[in-house]
Amino acid sequence: MGKSEIYVVGGGAAGMAAAIEAARAGAKVTVIDENEQPGGQLFKQIHKFFGSGVHRAGTRGVQIGRDLLKEAEEAGVKTRLNTVAYGIYPGKRLGLICGDHTEEPASPIIILATGASENALAFPGWTLPGVMGAGATQTLININRVLPGRRALMVGAGNVGLIVTYQLLQAGADVAAIVEGLPYIGGYGVHASKVRRAGVPILTSHTVLRAEGDETVERAVIAQMDEKWQPVVDTEEVLEVDTICLAVGLSPLAELAWMAGCRFSYLPALGGWVPVHDENMESSLQGIYVAGDLAGIEEASTAMEEGRLAGLSAAEALGYLSVETAEARKIEVRERLAALRIGSFGGGRAIAKRELLRATCKK
Amino acid sequence: MKNDDLVICRCEEVTQADIKEVINQGVTTMNEVKRLTRAGMGLCQGKTCGRLVAGILSGETNQPLQELKPSTSRAPTRVLPLGTLSKTTQDDD
Amino acid sequence: MRIEDHPILGKTERRERITLKVDGAAVPAFEGEAIAAALIASGRRVFRYTAKRREPRGVFCALGRCTDCMMIVNGQPNVRTCVTPARDGMVIQTQVGRRGGEATHDLETENS
Repeated sequence: MGKSEIYVVGGGAAGMAAAIEAARAGAKVTVIDENEQPGGQLFKQIHKFFGSGVHRAGTRGVQIGRDLLKEAEEAGVKTRLNTVAYGIYPGKRLGLICGDHTEEPASPIIILATGASENALAFPGWTLPGVMGAGATQTLININRVLPGRRALMVGAGNVGLIVTYQLLQAGADVAAIVEGLPYIGGYGVHASKVRRAGVPILTSHTVLRAEGDETVERAVIAQMDEKWQPVVDTEEVLEVDTICLAVGLSPLAELAWMAGCRFSYLPALGGWVPVHDENMESSLQGIYVAGDLAGIEEASTAMEEGRLAGLSAAEALGYLSVETAEARKIEVRERLAALRIGSFGGGRAIAKRELLRATCKK
Repeated sequence: MKNDDLVICRCEEVTQADIKEVINQGVTTMNEVKRLTRAGMGLCQGKTCGRLVAGILSGETNQPLQELKPSTSRAPTRVLPLGTLSKTTQDDD
Repeated sequence: MRIEDHPILGKTERRERITLKVDGAAVPAFEGEAIAAALIASGRRVFRYTAKRREPRGVFCALGRCTDCMMIVNGQPNVRTCVTPARDGMVIQTQVGRRGGEATHDLETENS
């Protein structure tokens, strides 16, 4: 088969999209993924996506995941599953754990598409079994097909909090309430309405004070907060729940990019520390590209488009696409990205992404 | 609201009090907090506690978050038995 | 509680029924599913106790990163049960403390 010219770390939406583009152009691509099967977070997304037709509106994440896997196979992408990238060394050399041994392949191009991890919220009792990330809840219900508990408190009313609340209800669990620290709901109105119609109260300017229980969560104590983020006296309420889901944001999983020496910018609108990259998704280091949530927390649709941009740019850099062909294709992708970054939700990310581009310093 | 006995680094069971103590002794960077308390040195290598520690450091020393770079990432970023490292190949497939 | 029939995902496809031994007790599972899933389905949520404060921990991230769901599997400690497939006859034990590195606990005594 020949040596891989492009290693893609992470086989989620961005990584697979990148691999497919590059492989179709003729490059030899290997996707590394730590899981038993690729697809990243797509297989947890059982709700229908928004956006236009070209962005697969009306399609569920699971179906998009299946389609990407099929396209990757057809394009000749090699995938190495159950393989963890634990390091990145000078000379674009990756450290990989493959079962009982490690490997250190070097390659001209590395595309990092390692995604994001859930943020934590610490409060007394947060280490009790029963407190978990909202994404963890999603994994348990939609992939493992088990209910984490019978009655949950959701912390956070962004899209993840609202969607996972609805998914808990669909799966047969009860949700006592959603508490949101901000004085407004961060997620899309359509999700909030669905959840309210189902009888779940969304309490803004509220927080969880503590979790209580002998060995596992048995109760949660919530309270209203004032403008100084202090609990308001006499508003404490005890909820009989056995599960507390934390939906308090995501942060890029950027250890490999830090280790490689990529430059970063701190942009709260994109999840915190984000590796700077140019319009081709190339980081501050030549030959290392970034795409998807690693390059800024957004959505699956933007992840796929960024992946495509990275894949096209990588293929062009290796000589598989002429400058003209690549540019024409990249312009189409950038237009679709711009269309996704509009409105009250996308606008902030568009501004932050422009900040990132400005911070790029070419070598 | 904050209880200082609160565990911040779940892997190493480092509490908020432990972290504040080293900050009171003059520590100002994420790397120093990690080195002195072990927060971030456990099996998850700071994936869960990183942001929490930064928040505490920022609050206690009045440094904005954009001035607190995460502690240095060193390989391996994942758990692996030492035996596997002794069987390393560098050949590309 | 297992989700057998889901409004969107439909009927859950099941593989072969197997049996795990968890702290001496027989626990039913399905071949290849995450060990953690079988344990949660059987009503167990405490997977280990921490080294310093001996506090209970269970599933927190469910994708193999936080290491709170670790248990001793077939004699090997620190196995992340949320990403490890269940196989028939696996012997699983609640892990108390840790083994390896700076370990100071005699796990055999603690777990016997």
